[in-house]
Amino acid sequence: MSSNNKKWFSLNLGGRNKESSGSCGCGKTSGGCGSGSKPNTIDSDGYQMTDDEFAEAAINASIGEERKKDGFEQVFDVKMDRRTAFKKLTASLLIGAGAVSTSCSVIGSDEGKEKAQIDWEEQFKGNYKMMSDEEKKATVERLTRSYELRTGKNITMSSKNAEEDVLFGYAFNISKCQGYMDCVNACVEENNQDRDSEMQYIRIHEMKDGQGFNFNEADDNYYHEVPAEGHFYMGTQCFHCDNPPCVEVCPVQATWREDDGLVVVDYDWCVGCRYCMAACPYDGRRFNWSKPEVPEKEVNHNQHYLGNRMRKKGVMEKCTFCVQRSRSGKNPACVEACPTGARIFGNLLDPKSTIRWVLENKKVFRLKEDLGTEPKFWYFMD
Amino acid sequence: MIRKNYIYILACTCVLVLFSCKHGEGEYHGVIEKINAEGKNYHGTSISSEQYIEGIKTIEITEDGHTFLIPERKGQIRSYACTECHSKPLEDMQSKGIKEAHWDIKIVHANENAMNCVTCHNPNNMDQLKSLTGKDIDFNKSYNLCNQCHSKQFEDWKGGAHGKRIGGWAPPRASMTCVNCHNPHKPHFESRWPSRFNTQTELERK
Repeated sequence: MSSNNKKWFSLNLGGRNKESSGSCGCGKTSGGCGSGSKPNTIDSDGYQMTDDEFAEAAINASIGEERKKDGFEQVFDVKMDRRTAFKKLTASLLIGAGAVSTSCSVIGSDEGKEKAQIDWEEQFKGNYKMMSDEEKKATVERLTRSYELRTGKNITMSSKNAEEDVLFGYAFNISKCQGYMDCVNACVEENNQDRDSEMQYIRIHEMKDGQGFNFNEADDNYYHEVPAEGHFYMGTQCFHCDNPPCVEVCPVQATWREDDGLVVVDYDWCVGCRYCMAACPYDGRRFNWSKPEVPEKEVNHNQHYLGNRMRKKGVMEKCTFCVQRSRSGKNPACVEACPTGARIFGNLLDPKSTIRWVLENKKVFRLKEDLGTEPKFWYFMD
Repeated sequence: MIRKNYIYILACTCVLVLFSCKHGEGEYHGVIEKINAEGKNYHGTSISSEQYIEGIKTIEITEDGHTFLIPERKGQIRSYACTECHSKPLEDMQSKGIKEAHWDIKIVHANENAMNCVTCHNPNNMDQLKSLTGKDIDFNKSYNLCNQCHSKQFEDWKGGAHGKRIGGWAPPRASMTCVNCHNPHKPHFESRWPSRFNTQTELERK
């Protein structure tokens, strides 16, 4: 165990010493992150809990307290049943044992050691939401290096934070959409979605004229020449609600709303309970039932930690308004791909932006507005 | 003393009532309220889309208070300037023996009563477009030709509800002009097959 103010354990096998600060970079998103409190330091014997300690921790722990904890304690110092506890301990032990055996082995390669070191640090890293900028950078560096070690290919991964004075919003013109589904293709390619299960964030619903928004009668998997006579088309995806119910229900706070309005998921913190999937009234979230597979040559190498980096089995994912693109000034892939200009994206706080003009001058509405979820995704007609 | 307590309690209740609305998700009742409040002191951001339009030649236009960039057009027309071929009056060019041109252009735009070639093109000055009243319109600002009839679309386009952005969402705004998406001789979008069919969803729903 190396430095005292680290939020997770590290074996420090290679003798590298990484500085980390205790400040929090989560901004003013809901709930508060306890950034004011000092980060909990962990004693070197911290993870060999006695039964009493464990029981006490289990009784005392609650969601409220969990907010103040980080790193190691977020994993272990929470209410959990024995099965989960054993599962976590076993996983950690396996990784630890692997790390020790590789690092102590004389014949083990340097690469192996580095891999083990990365795996170890990744296993015990904290929630991204609570990380300081340095910690975010460190985990992104580890992930890029790990990808390089595994595949021999380089990726660029960003940990760019939300910009001030930016709130992303989206408008969809239902009289323009022709149902071509170019947006869906662009989205899948941009966001490295699983090709085996043909996961797609966007659904285009073909609706009969004169029946209103009847999702029961609508078809979101049509295959015939479009636009079909007597039908109109509307797209749904994650609406990035300003009052997102999916965030409320997450038991581990692996999903949250960023300051620029994006609702994001920390794939490494998600436990895959799918509460958020059930809570979303718009079917905006997707679950990886199997390990997502993307052919190496189709992988989009321009990634963001909260966006299109490779996911693993058993975690949630969803549209992030292409955080890797939008935070650097580009339009999301679906907006760029749409041949009819039905999709409009921009900064809601900029009074001169096109999205604001749409909201102020067109007759806009949102889906299920009465739920109070405050989606930042408006529909309008010509 | 008791009266003082009452006043104290009353004051506390007032304060509580005042702040009780400001629950959980912060200071606003809805996202519109939030946009209006936080957008009031908007100072701009450091994010720019300029780098994504560097490779495109654009011209700046100001219409009705909206200033933005549109792609330059003349350089994109294959055989501009038109007068390089149209050196003689149109009647002479149509005579036999001269190589035929523009045979591939069929007008599928309005009907024959409303439009033909010379509604927009000036036979006496091929390098400019022609308004309905016979005024010259520059090829770079061809939207002025379209908006003679399509005034509603023009309004939406200026504001940003019609058409497509180039580059990204951030300033400076660059937008496609009419002819970047619509073929002026055949402006409708063709029907076609969707670019995707989800076989997994099909299986799941069987």
